[in-house]
Amino acid sequence: MGYADLLATAAVPLGILLVACGIALVLYELVTGWRARRTNAERKAATLLKQWLTPAQLAQYETQGHFDVTGCHTGRRYRIRHGRQANIIELDARGGRLSAWCFGPEGELPTGDVLLAQKIALETDEFAAIGIANRSSHVFY
Amino acid sequence: MATQIVMDKTGDSRHEFDAADAAALADAERRFNELTGLGFTAAARTGSGQSELLRTFDPTAEETVFFPRLQGG
Repeated sequence: MGYADLLATAAVPLGILLVACGIALVLYELVTGWRARRTNAERKAATLLKQWLTPAQLAQYETQGHFDVTGCHTGRRYRIRHGRQANIIELDARGGRLSAWCFGPEGELPTGDVLLAQKIALETDEFAAIGIANRSSHVFY
Repeated sequence: MATQIVMDKTGDSRHEFDAADAAALADAERRFNELTGLGFTAAARTGSGQSELLRTFDPTAEETVFFPRLQGG
């Protein structure tokens, strides 16, 4: 087999390999770009959340990963944990866990924004928030 | 400068305006009405960690945050 024949035989698999490498590179760029945007959004939302917390809430959040809020209508205490699903725990007077509540803003928001929306809702319009929330007696935290 | 902060998937988008400028204030009010009309909740920061729900545009609010309609999870 001559050099020309060898080249002709290898051309197709080489072409396929090059196209596959190109696709892989584009996918890599897409994923890393998406990840960077997501990380940036999370950082931005965390900064906003921290600016809107009381000093006590901020200290609690930074050391324990959650902060407590008081419902504006009932005076009940809720613990908002860093998370997105069933991350609100209603506490009794002694700090025991009563039930989990799940609600949040529509759309794909970073976690800090979700936590801030939950805090504002419970502190300023508790009945409306609880009215749309799903309640679970199973507290997983 | 007053700021309107609209939560979105990038974290938030910010709109700064001078409350002493009538045109800028009108723009801010239009944005407020547009967002709340879409179901966003508006809240103004009133103190350290304290906030107040805004049902109508408050031209004196220094910092207002808007978050999308709440839903049960």
